[in-house]
Amino acid sequence: MRLLSYLGQRLLFVAPQLVGILFVSFLLVKLIPGDPAVLMLGPFATPDGLARLRTELGLDRTVVEQFLIYLGNVVQGDLGTSWQTTMPVTSDLAQRFPATLELVTLGLLVALAIGLPLGVAGARYKRGLLRTGADYYGLLAGALPDFWLGLVLIYVFYTMLGWAPAPLGRIDFAVIPPEPVTGALLIDSLIAGNWEAFRSAAGHLVLPVLTLGLINAGPILKMTQATTERMLDSDFSRYAELCGLPRKVVVAQALRNALPSVITIVSVLYGFLLGGAVLVEIVFSWGGAGQYAVQGVLNADLNPVLGFVLYSAVLSLFIYLIVDLLYFLIDPRTR
Amino acid sequence: MTTPVLAVEGLDVEFPSYGEAPVRALHGLDLSIGEQEIVGLVGESGSGKTTLARAIMQLVPPPGRISQGSVSFEGRDLSKLDEEQLRTLRGRAMSMVIANPRSELNPLLTVGQQIGNILKYHTGCKGRELRERVIEMLKEVRIPDPERRYDAFPHELSGGMAQRVVMAIALICNPRLVISDDATSGLDVTVQAQVLELLKRLAERHRTAMLFITRDIGITAHFCDRVAIIYGGEIMEIATRARFFANPMHPYSVLLLAAFSHNPKLRSYWLKEGEAAAEARPAETGCPFAPRCVRVREHCRSVHPELRELEAGHHVRCHFPVERRA
Repeated sequence: MRLLSYLGQRLLFVAPQLVGILFVSFLLVKLIPGDPAVLMLGPFATPDGLARLRTELGLDRTVVEQFLIYLGNVVQGDLGTSWQTTMPVTSDLAQRFPATLELVTLGLLVALAIGLPLGVAGARYKRGLLRTGADYYGLLAGALPDFWLGLVLIYVFYTMLGWAPAPLGRIDFAVIPPEPVTGALLIDSLIAGNWEAFRSAAGHLVLPVLTLGLINAGPILKMTQATTERMLDSDFSRYAELCGLPRKVVVAQALRNALPSVITIVSVLYGFLLGGAVLVEIVFSWGGAGQYAVQGVLNADLNPVLGFVLYSAVLSLFIYLIVDLLYFLIDPRTR
Repeated sequence: MTTPVLAVEGLDVEFPSYGEAPVRALHGLDLSIGEQEIVGLVGESGSGKTTLARAIMQLVPPPGRISQGSVSFEGRDLSKLDEEQLRTLRGRAMSMVIANPRSELNPLLTVGQQIGNILKYHTGCKGRELRERVIEMLKEVRIPDPERRYDAFPHELSGGMAQRVVMAIALICNPRLVISDDATSGLDVTVQAQVLELLKRLAERHRTAMLFITRDIGITAHFCDRVAIIYGGEIMEIATRARFFANPMHPYSVLLLAAFSHNPKLRSYWLKEGEAAAEARPAETGCPFAPRCVRVREHCRSVHPELRELEAGHHVRCHFPVERRA
């Protein structure tokens, strides 16, 4: 029951948290140099035309007024339009956010699949080839920029070997994409039973997912290794050993005690990668949300930026909620 | 003569210390425990009690290591066994009751799981039978409402309750030897008495021998068949309980007993004056107890005393043992 009241409390604070996040990012976005009106009308705009557009956009009002108007629209589900794409931000993001989510989710799954076992192995065998390898891997993954790794992978697997499809988007141009339901191509093509689209989408996912996975396995590995090692050195592990439990069981118990830290780092990475995967998105012409937001920033196109911030904030809050639920599940002391 | 359950012979345990000679935590330690015998081992912090317990289990915390001597369990030299053979002995044939169990139990597993795991991984018992045997054991260590406690987590237990859980873990596989390492030191005195009583009864019922390590010499008087006094990693005196309490011969034993005495003269006579004496580390040469001994003579500082049998079954490591006053 403590869980329910806790959840209630958390949900109660979601709305004020979101308003706060929006307000701060609104101010920050306003600080970006560049006049949207000038950018929209181009170099041959007349002063009259500029003034009229500024009034139309509400740019002549105070920042607080502008924010309140924006907030009012957001509450009604209107995030404004992007002047670059001339589309409503909601429909732009409906297309791009799932693309980023699909990429980041799969990337983190791969990162977990690499980092978790390597981290546990490194903690279990404090010496030896495996540990050395894990240490070097952690170092390397921390040092390599992800976009560079992406380019290398493209060079090797597309240019040289020709195994991977061209790094141009999420699906072959010749393949008809499935009807969007979730926005994630893999899921949508499965729903539609469109195998050709599924195969093409999966093929396009391999390299960018691998790029994110290989790089982000680094911090996951480090965290897993450090925490599991600490748990293996702790009293309860030594006691388990004293009781003659098999080493395998002792390590598994240590890992279980280390899991909250691993979950924390994964959730942090998740929130970060929503925007942080932008370089990888650019390298693979992914057309994701990060790319969309960066373009907005570069062109003083505010609505896409704010829309992206809002979506990311909602998602991050959602992720942290799930993380808390997982803590509840794992650790009886929090119940 | 039957083989003892445990025979420790000439055991040395060293901890390397960088740039200096290694620190000897145990030195030439001999100790044997017969079937169903309870031996009390008394010493202060740092005397090597816990190191001995760990050395018997062949789990000296690294970088410490057994540098000499042997530990035999039921006639098998443990140093000759591989890690897997040792593992199957630990927790099953010889087990340990530890102090401060609340920090040693796994916080994420229920009491039932933790006791059950021992049974599961040592005997392969599982399912309903496992649960029944665990609950049976919980009853045996007098945990009220065992069905409910089965699903309790360590942080929900009181200190005395956790101590009982650890005893259940130690005894569930019917071991031949239980080592109790200062097990009751973290408990209130009243709870301590109950737990001790229970431990003794369980040892009898399970026909297990016991090495009962403690800082409290008073406990051994009620509890043990034989009493051993350890100081500076060496046995100073070992005798049957009756002989030991009737006629303690080592000045350190007398000091330990005098500490409980109501007679302030007696206490102050045996306790050497000055803080330096109280904090003195065991001597490297000569008798380890010399720096704190009120009866120390020149001979004690240079010549290391041997453990001598002064009466039948009464061994003392002292050049000038204390004589009983008529």
